[in-house]
Amino acid sequence: MTDQLEVDSVAPPSAATQRPLALLTQVFKTYQMDSVEVPVIRGVDILVRHSKFTVLLGPSGSGKTTLLNMLGCVDKPDKGEIVVADEKVAEMSDDALSDFRARNIGFIFQNFNLLPVLSAYENIEYPLLLAGATPSQRGKLVPRLLKAVGLSDRAKNLPGQMSGGQRQRVAIARALARKPKLVIADEPTANLDSHTGATILALMRRMVDEYAISFIFSSHDPEVIKAADDTIVLKDGLIQEVWRDGEKAG
Amino acid sequence: MMMTFNLALRNLLRNRRRSLATLLAMAIGSTSILLFGGFKINISNSMHTTHVQKDGHLQIQHRDFYLYGSGNPTAYGITDYTKILAAIQNDEVLKKMVVVATPALQFGGIAGNYAAGVSRTIIGNGFVAEDINRMRRWNDFGLLNQAPLSALEGASLDAAVVGTGVARVLQLCDALKITRCAKPEKEQKEEGAALPDDIAQLSLQETPVGAAAKDAGGPKIEVLVVNARGAPNVTSLEVLRAEDQGIKELDEVSMMMHLSKLQQLVYGKSAPKATSIMVQLRQSDQIPAARARLIGLVAGYSATQPLAVLDFRELNPFFVQTMLMFDTIFGFVFVLIGGIVLFTVSNTMNTTVVERTVEIGTLRAIGLRRRGILNLFVTEGALLGLFGAVLGAVLALTLAFVINQIGLLWLPPASATPIPFTVTVWGENLMIVGTTVGLIVIAVVSAWWPAYRAARLDVVEALRHV
Repeated sequence: MTDQLEVDSVAPPSAATQRPLALLTQVFKTYQMDSVEVPVIRGVDILVRHSKFTVLLGPSGSGKTTLLNMLGCVDKPDKGEIVVADEKVAEMSDDALSDFRARNIGFIFQNFNLLPVLSAYENIEYPLLLAGATPSQRGKLVPRLLKAVGLSDRAKNLPGQMSGGQRQRVAIARALARKPKLVIADEPTANLDSHTGATILALMRRMVDEYAISFIFSSHDPEVIKAADDTIVLKDGLIQEVWRDGEKAG
Repeated sequence: MMMTFNLALRNLLRNRRRSLATLLAMAIGSTSILLFGGFKINISNSMHTTHVQKDGHLQIQHRDFYLYGSGNPTAYGITDYTKILAAIQNDEVLKKMVVVATPALQFGGIAGNYAAGVSRTIIGNGFVAEDINRMRRWNDFGLLNQAPLSALEGASLDAAVVGTGVARVLQLCDALKITRCAKPEKEQKEEGAALPDDIAQLSLQETPVGAAAKDAGGPKIEVLVVNARGAPNVTSLEVLRAEDQGIKELDEVSMMMHLSKLQQLVYGKSAPKATSIMVQLRQSDQIPAARARLIGLVAGYSATQPLAVLDFRELNPFFVQTMLMFDTIFGFVFVLIGGIVLFTVSNTMNTTVVERTVEIGTLRAIGLRRRGILNLFVTEGALLGLFGAVLGAVLALTLAFVINQIGLLWLPPASATPIPFTVTVWGENLMIVGTTVGLIVIAVVSAWWPAYRAARLDVVEALRHV
């Protein structure tokens, strides 16, 4: 279970890791709903630290998912600056953003979003294929990831042949396959029972600790909040509170 | 690339029922195109064979005979045609290609049945019967039907074969045992009055009517020919058989007789001529080479007479027009079926894109570029096209085999006898590959727009899709 991945895991603190992994500065985002403009994010500043387990808290409509989308580089702000892994993502072209996401960001979705025609093994292998990994590299890494999430015996199973918890574990392995700097998880335990949710949470917590990857979640789950290093509380598109390592930040 | 192909293939198998329905639509379209194409090829081969059996692949003629010869064919005779024939037969290059090289003489005249008091104008041909029968055995396309051989081979010099229309007008149906030949109301004129007096007189001098009727097996007719000096010449011929020419207008004027007999009538004691030299080759694809060789060869005989070498397509514009018509219909059918395929595949791909919107969002989120999404859906369309077209080709080959085994008959235009209804698909590689590639291209084009839409989807909107 604790097999070490071939990632730059547990990297010693460096100048790079001292800098924030992601930094949002005065970010605004408004959605057009028919003829009505709905401001979702209204001037938010967020700092995401390296190798930390960060949770975004807030009621529905507070802007958690929009913030996660912008941090995950699948959405752009109307105004403001976003720097992820030292790169200003708001200025990138669509192709450059795709490549950036592939290199730096992993996604874990509430509904798992595995490719239904690919087996667990192939779902994890897919991002590596996109990266042009050789068969030998894939052959080494995918079994280790499967083992790390405890699904070595399910390698050939299609998503439809697995439980929700198993699917989410495959999704976690897929998210980690390209050794991302940041993993975005939008309510990853929402569709799981409490026991499975706790297992998944523990798994992700372990990934943060073992592989020095930052996880940022949106969640209502008190268990998730308890496990977090940093907690950012959102309301009506604004930051209400920020807690770091159990202490309220100024 | 393999990853895209693999994913596209699995996605097609994911919704088997829909993929199968699309495949079947494409396969039926492909089958229809190929079967119609096979039928078209069969008609082409059949007409091609008929013309080559009748006229040869190439004809050497006086340059103006084709356009002006029908008015007075004998005025366009080729002098020294025997030398040209000999030169063809002795030419080392042509020897390997030529099956038959034979002279023919066309004439215009009047045929009459003096005993019945009827006559009509005719266009006749004199030829060497043995050569004509060799030509009629040409069957390079391996057709199931064989052309009937001319009854003139081995017959006396006075023998003739007429079109069934000529036989009908000359009231020879009973004598020639022609079925479906209704007799006309009895004409009011006295017997023999239908013939012009001078022809009747000449006919009487040439052949006593009573004797002719009694001496030979076939009925006798009198044929008036204008000789090379412009004077009328009459002979009596024994009609061996009537042959349906397929086209009524031709059937009612056609007459065939021995070349030597006709030359005797037209040229008397002068040097005989022929209005054309028919050249039949082993294979039709030898036409360009043989034609080039013949042009060089006849140049040596063109000092006093301008000669031309024409191929059977120039001599039979109806064949070319018919095939152009079929090509147009084939193109029209292809466009219609291509349109159906286009909308079928497009509809399938549109539905697929809607169903897989979240998947598209996921793929984009994990780093697949827009081009990758486009390639994925276009590959799915191309695979649908490939499988549909290949399935269609297999179905067409199977159905063509079955149709060819059933032994159906049909009567094509300008044909006197029913011929086997066959469809030639096997071996028509250009048509099969062309149709397959064409349908794949159509499938790719129809998949392109849905694929483009999929590629342009906003990642957030796609992930949010329910």
